[in-house]
Amino acid sequence: MNKPSTLRRILTTDLPVALIVLFAMAPFAWMILTSLTPSAQIVSSGVSLSPAGWSLDNYWRLLGQTSFLTNMLHSLIIATGTMVLGLVVAVAAAYAFSRFRFPGRRLLMLQFLLINMFPVVLLILPLFVLMRRFGLLDTHFALILANSTVAIPFAVWMLTSYVGAIPKSLDEAAMTDGCSRLTTLRRIVLPLMVPGIISTGIYIFITAWNEYLYALTLGGRNVRPVTVAIQTLIGEYQIEWGLLAAGAVVGALPATLLFLFVQRHLIGGMTQGAVKG
Amino acid sequence: MSIVTPTRAAESPGPFWRRAHLTPYWLLAPAVVVTAVIVFLPMAQAVITSFYDLILFRPNASRFVGFGNYIKLFSDPVFWTALWNTVIWIGLTVPLQMGLGLVTAILLNREFPWRSVARALIIIPWALPSVVIALMWRWIYDPNTGVLNDLLIYLSVVQGAVPWLADPHLALYAVIATLTWQGFPFFAVMILAGLQGIPKSQYEAASLDGASSWRQFLHITLPGIMPVLATAGLLRVIWVANSMDVIFVMTGGGPGYSTHTLPLYAFIKARQNLDFGYGTAIAVTFTILLGSFVAVYLARTMREVEK
Amino acid sequence: MGLLKKFAAGLAVAATFAAAMATGSANAETVRFWYHFDNPANPMSELVAKFEKANPGIKVEAENVPWNSYYDNLYTALIGGNAPDAAMVKLFAQPRLVEMGALEPLGDRINAWPGKADLLDNLLELNKGPDGTQYYLPVQYVVLYLYYRTDMFAAAGLKPPATCEDFRDAAIKLTKAPDVYGFGLRGGKGGWDQWGAFVFSQGGALKPGGLTNPQAVAANQWVIDLFRKDKVIPPSAPNDGFQEIIGAFKAGKTAMTIHHIGSSKDLVAALGDKVSAVPVPKCGDGRWTSYGDESLAVFSASPHKDAAWKWISFLAEGQNNVAFNSATGQMTVTKSGAKDWKLHERRFVDATVESLPFAHVLPQNAATSEFVNTAWQTAMQRALTGQISSQQMMEELNALVAQ
Repeated sequence: MNKPSTLRRILTTDLPVALIVLFAMAPFAWMILTSLTPSAQIVSSGVSLSPAGWSLDNYWRLLGQTSFLTNMLHSLIIATGTMVLGLVVAVAAAYAFSRFRFPGRRLLMLQFLLINMFPVVLLILPLFVLMRRFGLLDTHFALILANSTVAIPFAVWMLTSYVGAIPKSLDEAAMTDGCSRLTTLRRIVLPLMVPGIISTGIYIFITAWNEYLYALTLGGRNVRPVTVAIQTLIGEYQIEWGLLAAGAVVGALPATLLFLFVQRHLIGGMTQGAVKG
Repeated sequence: MSIVTPTRAAESPGPFWRRAHLTPYWLLAPAVVVTAVIVFLPMAQAVITSFYDLILFRPNASRFVGFGNYIKLFSDPVFWTALWNTVIWIGLTVPLQMGLGLVTAILLNREFPWRSVARALIIIPWALPSVVIALMWRWIYDPNTGVLNDLLIYLSVVQGAVPWLADPHLALYAVIATLTWQGFPFFAVMILAGLQGIPKSQYEAASLDGASSWRQFLHITLPGIMPVLATAGLLRVIWVANSMDVIFVMTGGGPGYSTHTLPLYAFIKARQNLDFGYGTAIAVTFTILLGSFVAVYLARTMREVEK
Repeated sequence: MGLLKKFAAGLAVAATFAAAMATGSANAETVRFWYHFDNPANPMSELVAKFEKANPGIKVEAENVPWNSYYDNLYTALIGGNAPDAAMVKLFAQPRLVEMGALEPLGDRINAWPGKADLLDNLLELNKGPDGTQYYLPVQYVVLYLYYRTDMFAAAGLKPPATCEDFRDAAIKLTKAPDVYGFGLRGGKGGWDQWGAFVFSQGGALKPGGLTNPQAVAANQWVIDLFRKDKVIPPSAPNDGFQEIIGAFKAGKTAMTIHHIGSSKDLVAALGDKVSAVPVPKCGDGRWTSYGDESLAVFSASPHKDAAWKWISFLAEGQNNVAFNSATGQMTVTKSGAKDWKLHERRFVDATVESLPFAHVLPQNAATSEFVNTAWQTAMQRALTGQISSQQMMEELNALVAQ
């Protein structure tokens, strides 16, 4: 193909991309402006558009007066734990689904979808009773378990397509050389899956990071992730817009940074999955 | 994915539990056990509940009613409204997210100087908690103090402020727009990845043959990303169908019943009115309906994907 | 498989750890307390510290639960068997909690409590349970009244309305659509308390037949007409919640709205002395306004009822209650605290006190919860948007009450 002229590129690529980025970012930019406007000013005269009215007041209050940093730590433990647990069981399951044909395979694949079809709100009460019986209420482990069930189906389905993309001849060669199934999985398939694992891991991380209903019900005084902490800023008669916006900006940071950091791998990883599907 | 693995016979025989044909079940066991305990036990309990007339604050008045809740459900006009809203909700949100995601992905796949920054910024809507998104958009839509109406009036698109969330004919679509905004980055990322997998040589060959960009898109790009679209679309349908937190915060299901979807209706009945029998009956019916849809979808699409 | 083993081991460790935690806390006299505050700085910890100093044997674990999930979460915890020992509760939840058998009667404890005499008159009476037993200890209160813009009224040469006719008149004169509307109606969740001022004052009542009588239907029609015919209410009303009506009032989009003293600080910050308040207008022959409460209760399943009572009664005593209310922005329930009340501007306190004689609570039955939580707004929103008539709306609500 000919290299298109810069002007043409700007018109057909930069401009549309800028529009989409604007669409994605505009509400968030408003949120940043809100977080930079001191609360008293939001109440009396609204969000400040000029840098003269900006201050980091809301951020200091958020970090100083509320327990937001602790909440971030809880979220981090839960999201990371969910990611690890979800990936471990999903990798094994995905390997089974893509490398074996066995009775009940389709049924088992379907059951993973079924899990996410039932409205979560109605699982909460029985799950609460179950967790109480095992003494797991208000522990990180309870939330990791609960979030995993939301994440595992997706992870299994996506990873299945990634493993499917890795040529089977590689496994077979390894097994002919005397490796067992599990050794093959560990030595041959896992390294090739790394990009796929990273991309699925990000998805699980974001899902667990943003989960609210389980966090509220199964958590409590000791385990209180960011989403619950943010909700307490939404009062009966008052929304602390300044703190809420600051909380949302800070709360969105880990996922965004993580994505920024592993973006290259994510794109590469998906490539492999998609080649085969 | 091709047919049966040929290596089975080559593996050495051993004790029963180590036999090769059990390996996949061992590998699946952790995932199945975790999900069975955390989801299927509570789900089974919920299905049983749906056969009872159970109002949580009257635990002693609970009684078995068989299919009573289901019979009541089918004669409940709100159920049918909510069902129809759910159809519109899924039918518009998922294609819109996918369409916008597709355009975004194709654009982000081109070479331009600030590509990596654009890619990172695009995912922000996806990385924000739903409740924050819902509150933010509720504010944007507000006819008295919101920015959207100001903008539209300034651009002379509308004459006066439009009560987006207060008009029963508009509210559902306004919420759909919000969810489209929230969910399109997911598709953009997935499709972007799919695009990387299409060999450049195919485009070059087509270019030499004089195929237009539209024909290239139709005959090379689209088939290349079909598997990703199918899987991502399926997962998204299930996710969108069930997501009610954004609707709940933005309209609470109103005005009237105009933004009630089935999961939201189940939520309101069970969590707010504490009518668990009826609430679970709605949830079970919804799961069956969604399940049948997914089964049909899988039968039609996945056959192609798994070829 | 190594991973599996690790997973199983992790599970076991977590389970024993959690079990150890549970038994550990059972030995100490710990009061678990749930509350919701609009104040993010959370001044509760100071009150807890003061209490623990005075009562060395008791530890208080106060948990701030998000308001919009407060009751969902409370019911789940009660039914799931992990409820707190005491909590902040509202009257509309009382019938359900009583029916669940979740509340501990407090009558004897209150009678033996020295702080009883310091409580404002009549509050205990208003807080009584549906069966006449005392379960709730009041901790703060508000009364709804009419906020109005003094500058707009002066410019139009109007006086704050005393009757419904004056009110409609003023609203029509003040409306300059689409810039200004006469009245900010809350058509979304929680708006029943505004609506009550117009309908419960004119023969409407939450009892079988109490909503379908001709006066009540006509009063309801009058409210709907304000929106649909007179157009003195912003078109966004059907989805407007508290945030929106206060936001519109602050922005000068509405000239009147109905709310309580809790929002006065914000309004004064935005509008200065251009905002004032009077009791809600008299409609027909009656006058009705909503008494908004927040009380404290001890749950019957609590193993630490005495300690829990000590804690909640501590919060209802003189200076502690003042400290509590300076955090929530509402009114103290103690006579000693009310004497030199500096938290709010005088004009809003006066409007509140003047409203007390005709302030009411909704009847205490299970239908009330559903009316407040979901039924009113779905019916009202459809009536406002013309999907059902006033008569249909009232019949639908009546069916709920008659259950």
